[in-house]
Amino acid sequence: MMKYIIELILSIGKVDRRWIFLVIGLAVLLPLFFPLGLPIRATNATQRVYDAVEELEPNSKVLVSFEYGPSTKPEIHPMAIAILRHLFTNSQKVYVTCLWPDGQFMAEDALTEIAEEEYGLTYGEDYVLLGFRPGNEAVVKGLVSNIRKLYTTDARGTLVDQIPMMANVNKVKDFDFIFSASAGYPGTIEWVQYAADPTGVPMSTGTTSIQVNDVMPYVQSGQVKGILAGMPGAAEYEALIGSPGIGTSGMDAQSIAHLVIVLFIVFGNITYFIETQRAKKY
Amino acid sequence: MIIGAWISVFLTLAILSYLYKDNLFYKVAEHVFVGISTGYWTSMFFWTQIQPNLFGRLWPATEYDASSLWYKFYNVFGVFSSVFPEGGIAKGHDMHLIYLVPFALGIMMLLSVSSKLSWMARWGIAYTVGMAAGLRAYGFLNSNVIGQIKGSAFQLVNSNLPYFALVGESIFNNFVILIGTITGLMYFYFSREHTGNFGRLTKVGIYFLMISFGASFGFAVMGRISLLIGRFVDLIHYSSSTYNHATLWILLIMVVLLGYSAFMDKSAPIEPPAK
Repeated sequence: MMKYIIELILSIGKVDRRWIFLVIGLAVLLPLFFPLGLPIRATNATQRVYDAVEELEPNSKVLVSFEYGPSTKPEIHPMAIAILRHLFTNSQKVYVTCLWPDGQFMAEDALTEIAEEEYGLTYGEDYVLLGFRPGNEAVVKGLVSNIRKLYTTDARGTLVDQIPMMANVNKVKDFDFIFSASAGYPGTIEWVQYAADPTGVPMSTGTTSIQVNDVMPYVQSGQVKGILAGMPGAAEYEALIGSPGIGTSGMDAQSIAHLVIVLFIVFGNITYFIETQRAKKY
Repeated sequence: MIIGAWISVFLTLAILSYLYKDNLFYKVAEHVFVGISTGYWTSMFFWTQIQPNLFGRLWPATEYDASSLWYKFYNVFGVFSSVFPEGGIAKGHDMHLIYLVPFALGIMMLLSVSSKLSWMARWGIAYTVGMAAGLRAYGFLNSNVIGQIKGSAFQLVNSNLPYFALVGESIFNNFVILIGTITGLMYFYFSREHTGNFGRLTKVGIYFLMISFGASFGFAVMGRISLLIGRFVDLIHYSSSTYNHATLWILLIMVVLLGYSAFMDKSAPIEPPAK
């Protein structure tokens, strides 16, 4: 019996990798059709982002930066939507910048859906899309010293001086809070290094899962107030604001897929262990 | 909207088809992606930076004077009216001729395509490297060195903290941070051989690093699964009748064509091995 089990495990270890792709695909696909409704609990890092936004007085000036594109949309867009929803519910003024060219598309998409269609807010009075400027960290540095030097017009071509909510907004220090929705470079780390740390303006972030380890030291040291870590971070934030969205709907698939991957890792290690033992024996 | 959905589905499935094997669909999607990305980035850079912020500062509408030599030169380019509109560029800038310097450096960087003039590109690259090095040195020193040292300096045994907590601050976690920081730094001290007691401590540092790499791997997997979920959500959305069942049709056509291709490959005569 034991011999049969060992042979079975070894045969699983030798399976064509395309079968593994198929199993992972099904593990992701099936929960999307048949949701399990697994519970979502906010982690400490997500709770800190929520608390930081809650602590803001109504009509605070919040700078939201979009640093992601279509390739990372499933991870970052749900959290950008959730953050905008939370900010607009609390009557904050939102200023949107983009360090990535495709971030402007993402921002337009999110603002149209939330600010225009859901909340019916007025462009230029409640929110403004300043748009993309190339230059990476130099753009952040430029925003810290003089926004108007960098942005003479917004993304729609309107002169910044003619936008009502831009009155008395000249540099990063004029904002009460920064939120960076970031998928890489330039992104959260550049905002910490060139804006939040030098000016003392509090900031939070939402990042792709792969970036979490890089950003976590800043969260641990208090330089960043919390972090939304990938799709689970978005789902937790949606739960906190009581508005389930794309992040929440993907969490069952995420959990099942992880379970399957863990099983594959365990099988792979058992196979490796058996094979090395056999090699030693013979 | 329907055409967009069909293109989106085709490109998604074409890229995913690489999991089966390298094939024509994947190659098409890959080349389309590279081409469109380059075109999009170029046009975005031009219309958000070069035209408004460079040309807009060299020939601003506020100082337009058709009789001046500078604007006569500008009017020569009037044929490209979307870039150089009549009456100067109205983007809220005053004239700053100092911007001729970055303009010249930018053109010099483009000259790297010429084998005879490529040396000129070094000037632009030298400026960029120098500026970036200076800018980054400040950021890293301030946030990564000073900020992190400040963050690591905490009261080790604080009576207000619990002895142990899985999440959040605790005395136990403070010790973990202390040991991890010191042993991790020790591992990167190469002026002494990693043997004896020092070697044992650096080994502890390696374990901390390995846990960190494990967490990175876990997060990487989570990120990739999230992206797959995003694509599947779109594919499910586009499989509805609103989009004429785009996903189902394209998937069927792809499977049939890839299957036919695989069948033809198998039935082709096997080439004899080269002598």
